[in-house]
Amino acid sequence: MIRIQFYSLLRLLLKEEKLDLPACTDENIEQLLQRVQKHFSTPFLHKLLDDQGGLHAGTIIMVNRRNILHLESLETPVRDGDLIAFFPPGAGG
Amino acid sequence: MSGCYGKLLRVDLTAGTCKIEALNDKWAKEFIGGRGLASKYLAEEVAADIDALSPKNKLIMATGPLTGTYGAANGRYMVVTKSPLTGTIASSNSGGYFPCELRYAGFSMIIFEGKAEHPCYLQIYNDRVELVGAVHLWGKPTQETEDAILAEFHGDAKVACIGPAGENQVLFANIMNDKHRASGRSGVGAVMGSKNLKAVAVRGTGGVKVAKPAAFRETAIETYGMLKENPVSGEGLPALGTPVLVNVINQFGALPTRNFQEDTFAGAEAISGEALAATYLKRNKGCMGCVIGCGRVTSLSGARFSGSGEGPEYETLWSLGATCGVDDLAAITKANYICNEYGMDTITAGATVACAMELYEKGLINEAEIGMSLNFGDADAMVKLVEMAAKKEGFGAKIALGSYRLAESYGAPELSMTVKKQEFPAYDGRGMQGMALNYATSNRGACHVRGYLVSPEILGLPEKIDPQATDGKATWAKIFQDFTAVVDSVGVCLFTTFALGVPQFAKFYSAATGVELTDEGLLEAGDRIYNLERVFNLAAGIDPSQDTLPKRLLEDPISDGPLKGEVAKLDQMLPEYYEQRGWSVKGIPSKKKLQELGLA
Repeated sequence: MIRIQFYSLLRLLLKEEKLDLPACTDENIEQLLQRVQKHFSTPFLHKLLDDQGGLHAGTIIMVNRRNILHLESLETPVRDGDLIAFFPPGAGG
Repeated sequence: MSGCYGKLLRVDLTAGTCKIEALNDKWAKEFIGGRGLASKYLAEEVAADIDALSPKNKLIMATGPLTGTYGAANGRYMVVTKSPLTGTIASSNSGGYFPCELRYAGFSMIIFEGKAEHPCYLQIYNDRVELVGAVHLWGKPTQETEDAILAEFHGDAKVACIGPAGENQVLFANIMNDKHRASGRSGVGAVMGSKNLKAVAVRGTGGVKVAKPAAFRETAIETYGMLKENPVSGEGLPALGTPVLVNVINQFGALPTRNFQEDTFAGAEAISGEALAATYLKRNKGCMGCVIGCGRVTSLSGARFSGSGEGPEYETLWSLGATCGVDDLAAITKANYICNEYGMDTITAGATVACAMELYEKGLINEAEIGMSLNFGDADAMVKLVEMAAKKEGFGAKIALGSYRLAESYGAPELSMTVKKQEFPAYDGRGMQGMALNYATSNRGACHVRGYLVSPEILGLPEKIDPQATDGKATWAKIFQDFTAVVDSVGVCLFTTFALGVPQFAKFYSAATGVELTDEGLLEAGDRIYNLERVFNLAAGIDPSQDTLPKRLLEDPISDGPLKGEVAKLDQMLPEYYEQRGWSVKGIPSKKKLQELGLA
């Protein structure tokens, strides 16, 4: 099982805090995002990705609490038991 | 400077006189305004080694050349003085309507000198200025004070004032303006209280001129679009405000918990921005002319706690929450209201309670001395102790000194999570090396808004860099510190920098003042301001050995979470930082560097 957490604007938009999905073999973050989108009628990928499908500056996606930008970005593998967190760009002080 | 600056109002509280002067034009060009220009006046007029709470200290309220214009988020001002908490130069920023109103009355800056014999406050109606008695206001909380002043002076006036904490000279007392906004850090409210100055009320009916209206309008339109289109300033901050960071930083593993003993807080979700939005948040709110609107208007109506106001912000959710081990959002919100009503910095207030909790946990203080048990996670004790601190009541008098003096008095200064006696904000430097360097070298002690390297290290703005790397962090720290000094000096909100860069600020500055300045020239002004502050601190006896971090951050690895095992690697960054600053290996600005900047 893959545990997915939605934060910030995604939570307001989707009205969901989390989603559990069965793991797939050879899946990466980019593919997982497409799979998650199919669970919702509300489009949300544009909050995380730009028109070319790349990450917006400031988007944070964590796999087991590590930012995918320091792993393999959208090609970071997703494995059974992983905890995935999606944060659209946000900031504070 | 084409009249884009207002006048200087000099108030001698000892003599009870007010005098209107022209701003020093040369200094305005060199130090911009706000933080920079006020620091120049302070450095020229106040001996650095004085007692910060003596009449010899001065309190300066300073706007920037952009404050009150229709440019981007320009409702900011800076309070500059010598800090009673740190002994360093203090500059504490706030936004709202008061800063703009000061400009509309024709003033860029007010310098308060001496000490009034009796409590007083300053009334400004354009160029009519008068000190009036405030005995009837002394002891009143901040919002009641503002209401009373509006009733007796002018209903459209804007007010900055201290609460009982400032009157009691709590070392981290703040100055509140527009009821809910704070010049929060470094104890500027205690200095105001030491001068028997309760408030400043201003009504202005003029405007703010800019030197090149067409160029200014063009830049304002360009930057408005940039701010609205940027996902952070255009959507994230309005919707969830700064509290959105609770879950981000906790997931990352650098949310200091139980006085920095851990870095993942199990109760983070309960005190997050998302939780606040689902419970006590009523709406967002902006400072004057702001297109972002990050402010949180909240209210409580439960059986235990009630009230209304603004906040808590991210820092407060952490200081009164995670670092105290408290996951009770209502209690944090209530303690935040108490801090605002009494006029105290929420960061130092909460962090000092957390320090007291660890002293209690380690058996260094007992229940009899405190008057109650003080376990981590005890929300009711946290709320009570915050109020006791404001009143300097019982053990609260020790909290009122800040965590360093508190911990030192029990023989355990190492339990104070401070730099230069000022408490850290809500990011553990062991998890982000650039922030560790920024904390150690900030001119007002531990502070996140002197060089917010959280932005590139964690948030990926403007680009993502490795938080654990040390290479290159000296360069990042210097640029961020210099740029921040510029932003603080022109009178613009730091949050605009999530969307705007140096080129936009250079265009705004040039259009407002008529003085053409390149991007490099603007950053050089920031460098000049930073060095000026450094020179003041050195003269105040804050030697470079204080460019360091608590032993816990340098030697004790993070104990949990994804960053387990990390420490702050300050020694790998500090020499390069000194070199990039043009300072000696011992951290002293070289004569050559000071000459280049016109400081020697």
